[in-house]
Amino acid sequence: MTGPRPTRKEYVARQRALHGRPSVAVLPVHYPKELLTALGVLAVELWGPPGPPRGDAAGRLQPYVCALARNALAFLASGGADAVDGVLFPHTCDSIQGLATLAADFGGWSRPAFTFLHPRGPPRPSARAFLRAELRSLAAALEPLAGRSLTPAKLAWALELHAEIHAARAALLDQRPRVALSDPELYALLRRGEWLWPEEHLAELRAARAVMADRPAVQGVPILVSGYVPEPPAILEALGAVGAYVAADDYAAVGRRVVRPGAPGSAGPEEDPWDRLVARCWAAPPCPTRSADPGARAAHLVALAERSGARGVLLHVVKFCEPELFDVPAIRQAFAARGTPVLVLEGELEAELSAQAVTRIEAFVELVSAREAA
Amino acid sequence: MTPAAIGVDVGSTTCKAVAIDADGRILARAVEPLDPRIEPQVERLVAAVGGGAGPEVPLGATGYGRKRVKAGRAVTEITCHARGAYARTGRPGVLVDMGGQDTKVIRVGAAGEVLDFAMNDKCAAGTGRFLEVILGRLRVPFDEVGALAGGAAKAVTVSSTCTVFAESEVISLVAGGAPPDGIVKGLHQALASRVAALARAVASGAPEMFLSGGVALNAAMGAALRDALARPVRVVPEPQLVGALGAALCVLR
Amino acid sequence: MILRRVQYEAARRVVGPVLASLDAWQRRLRRRRGRPRAGPFGPPLQSTRKLKELMAVHYYQGRFADGAVPVAWVTSGFPVEVLRPLGFHAVYPENHAAICGVQRLVPALSDAAEAEGFSRDLCSYARTDLGSVIAGRTPVGRLPRPDLLACCTNICQTVLYWYRALAERLGVPLVLVDTPYVYGREAKPHLLRYVRDQLEELVRVAERVSGRRTEPEALAEAARLAKVGTDLWGECLALGRHRPAPWTAIDGFFHMAPIVSLRGSEACNAYYRLLRDELADRVRRGVGGIRDERHRLLWDNLPIWFAVRELSTLFAERGFNFVCTSYTNAWAEAGSRIDPADPLGSAASAYTHVILNQDLPNRLGILRRLARDYAADGAVLHSDRSCKPYSIGQVDLKERLAAELGIRVLLLEADHSDPRAWAAEQGENRLTAFMEGFA
Repeated sequence: MTGPRPTRKEYVARQRALHGRPSVAVLPVHYPKELLTALGVLAVELWGPPGPPRGDAAGRLQPYVCALARNALAFLASGGADAVDGVLFPHTCDSIQGLATLAADFGGWSRPAFTFLHPRGPPRPSARAFLRAELRSLAAALEPLAGRSLTPAKLAWALELHAEIHAARAALLDQRPRVALSDPELYALLRRGEWLWPEEHLAELRAARAVMADRPAVQGVPILVSGYVPEPPAILEALGAVGAYVAADDYAAVGRRVVRPGAPGSAGPEEDPWDRLVARCWAAPPCPTRSADPGARAAHLVALAERSGARGVLLHVVKFCEPELFDVPAIRQAFAARGTPVLVLEGELEAELSAQAVTRIEAFVELVSAREAA
Repeated sequence: MTPAAIGVDVGSTTCKAVAIDADGRILARAVEPLDPRIEPQVERLVAAVGGGAGPEVPLGATGYGRKRVKAGRAVTEITCHARGAYARTGRPGVLVDMGGQDTKVIRVGAAGEVLDFAMNDKCAAGTGRFLEVILGRLRVPFDEVGALAGGAAKAVTVSSTCTVFAESEVISLVAGGAPPDGIVKGLHQALASRVAALARAVASGAPEMFLSGGVALNAAMGAALRDALARPVRVVPEPQLVGALGAALCVLR
Repeated sequence: MILRRVQYEAARRVVGPVLASLDAWQRRLRRRRGRPRAGPFGPPLQSTRKLKELMAVHYYQGRFADGAVPVAWVTSGFPVEVLRPLGFHAVYPENHAAICGVQRLVPALSDAAEAEGFSRDLCSYARTDLGSVIAGRTPVGRLPRPDLLACCTNICQTVLYWYRALAERLGVPLVLVDTPYVYGREAKPHLLRYVRDQLEELVRVAERVSGRRTEPEALAEAARLAKVGTDLWGECLALGRHRPAPWTAIDGFFHMAPIVSLRGSEACNAYYRLLRDELADRVRRGVGGIRDERHRLLWDNLPIWFAVRELSTLFAERGFNFVCTSYTNAWAEAGSRIDPADPLGSAASAYTHVILNQDLPNRLGILRRLARDYAADGAVLHSDRSCKPYSIGQVDLKERLAAELGIRVLLLEADHSDPRAWAAEQGENRLTAFMEGFA
């Protein structure tokens, strides 16, 4: 790699200039990235931005609305996303639901706005049929911006490409101790997938896999982290500073969207690509914004902890985030039954980690280390 | 006598230091209001309790300012309070530590280890600051608080969850003629109920409950907590020094 | 089982009504002995007696429901007409939580939920209900255990998280009617098809749980009753357009209990005929909900249950009456879309196009229309901490309403049932200052 890395904004501009690629900013969490790739549209995920919201627009949302919605509204309204051609709002929760209409209808984003209504609950026949129709509807809505039509062949190609990306990310995450990078470095690599053109992201992932060690290269207290997004990055540094590392990841921005090989959706190419995409949407790990079962989520996290040898669980939730907070008791109970300590750390997408938050993390790692030693 | 270890607790309002012998018994202690120039203050207190002992005596540092103590090993106040409380009580249970700006609830295990903990949110309403601000407004001296609250026939309910709003609520109550002793009792109840809410998740099923921190010196607080939790709550001896003691124990070889 | 069924029916037909009238007698006696009613309000509505009886009997009957008939716990926006033909006794945890709110029981119940790890930042209805289940405490005697949890996300996504937690705890199946949000005027066809398909799936699950089959005529009849009920409720509300309004919208918050909890039943409709006739009579005689109506206000969002009486009095004393609310209005809007000839298809449309499931321009349109139709010269938007779908956008709605209609609008921070989120002193000050600003 030569020269300094472009910023996200520069990258978006370059993609348009060099490849004629339009771009769409995407709010969290779940969306059919394959559709955008198949249409030649660059997805630029907005996981924040962190830090105090810029401009006045945040004042249009009350203080008890989560920082995600407030920061995003402020970002859009202050022109932070002006480099892209459109914004996609998935129907993630009540706050993002409201954010979409607030920004698009009452001011804050005047260019094309798209919505993606993913169904909730298990993959019932009604939900599958709806999702298929909704995916087609979204594709049709994006075609004018993309400047081309979506063909089944292109969709199939995009599905293959993203399946490879998922597999590569899964390999790095599931065998994390063999990746000789610090947590901040590993996450920086994985999070570049939020805005890199998928083929470029895949190339970086492959390069990282090629240099994986044969034996565990990372030492320390293994922790499972679940939550929204690893912001501020200082949280990873705080863990590292007291000798812990992220052994298993269930961040919505990272591990919770990784579809593992063998899961439905990664089936053979003879299936209709739309059916494959529908199946893929249900194949990601359990997420409270999609599924209907806190028990399944807790069981998934327990399995994740077991597979990775994690000795403690950090639930890094965003204050006021209802889908995450409702699951906390079930998760705590599941791990209490196994004797694994759980720390619930509330964040607000702040730019700096407070001393209190650092103390909590340190005390938690002290607690877990003492148990290991005992 | 050369101490076997020294512990400092650099809190948000006070700085405490404790020197212990090889058996963990306290040899000397010191408490001062916090000086923003932390390092010179710590040096002075360490020298005072250490009896002139040199740098070979292990130094443990805890509290908000623990990382500013260069010569010490930093351990969080959670771990230190658990160690210190266990050393003083000899029993597992749940420790409620109420400091000036921080309230912590720590589940202490059978060997003094931390099993679980909770800390108050970024809000003063569950901490000593709540009482300090409002009692200051009412001009009630700290040493009279316990007697005043204890002597009140009935508590006057203070319903605001926010320290700032509670302050104006109390002013209204006083202007309306509500008895000061009842208000003081009500304030303690309000604070205790917030602390109890923090404590409940950590404390369920715990054998015993203990109270430490500067606020524990206020007898009315212990009583109010007992009522809010509907359980006996014992004040740890020398409640302000629990953290510093724990820090010293953590570095004791 | 048969004995249980007999108890259940007896509770509704005989015992309940007797107990309710006994209670009413006691209240009347107490009132006669006490001071005569004075104050800023008009004479109390006679219908209220019947309302109390109706709801008391419903909750009393509920004590004997489990084991007698299939029991469902239902969200307020759920298309309950689908369950009526199968003989379900429907319990509304939101209505129950509102009762707890009025009786100021929420902090204690929420403490029980918080002790299990539920954050205090979660919806206070959910905390109340989960706390009630966890602690085994309720002010209504006893709630019957559900055989089914019936959840519709048209009012919010939170009910799904809440009902999932309930399903986990109670070990009971959860049926979900997922109504995706409507951006734009009308829901897209594939969205409505989705909701309709879910209703078909729901019917099959409900049949399994109840051990009964759905008779098409019974389903059509339930739809008809629901339509008639919502239209009657709409007529009651519409009488508030007169000057003076014959009742206060605060009354409305209590009188909406039947359309929420008993929708699709003849008892509900009979009640609203009674209420409508009484309100129409008051209009004829010029009797107002408050004695001296000088200003008319619109209320947006849920009520502040634990302070309804105090706030209502605060306003009435200064001649302010809430003549319309977006909340009470919500249960009158669905009626126009319900069609007994196509119960499931029309329910899919009716329950998808509710105020909380449609975008902000639609919401603004409703508030604007209400303010105009009811000649409101001011509005209070309750910024309900617990209800994000209702509260998001209010800052903008306030500005737009004020600008478009030239009325004074106040945004009031509170919560619908947790008094710990209400700064009474400061809140009442703001409301008083707001009222002083009216010429």
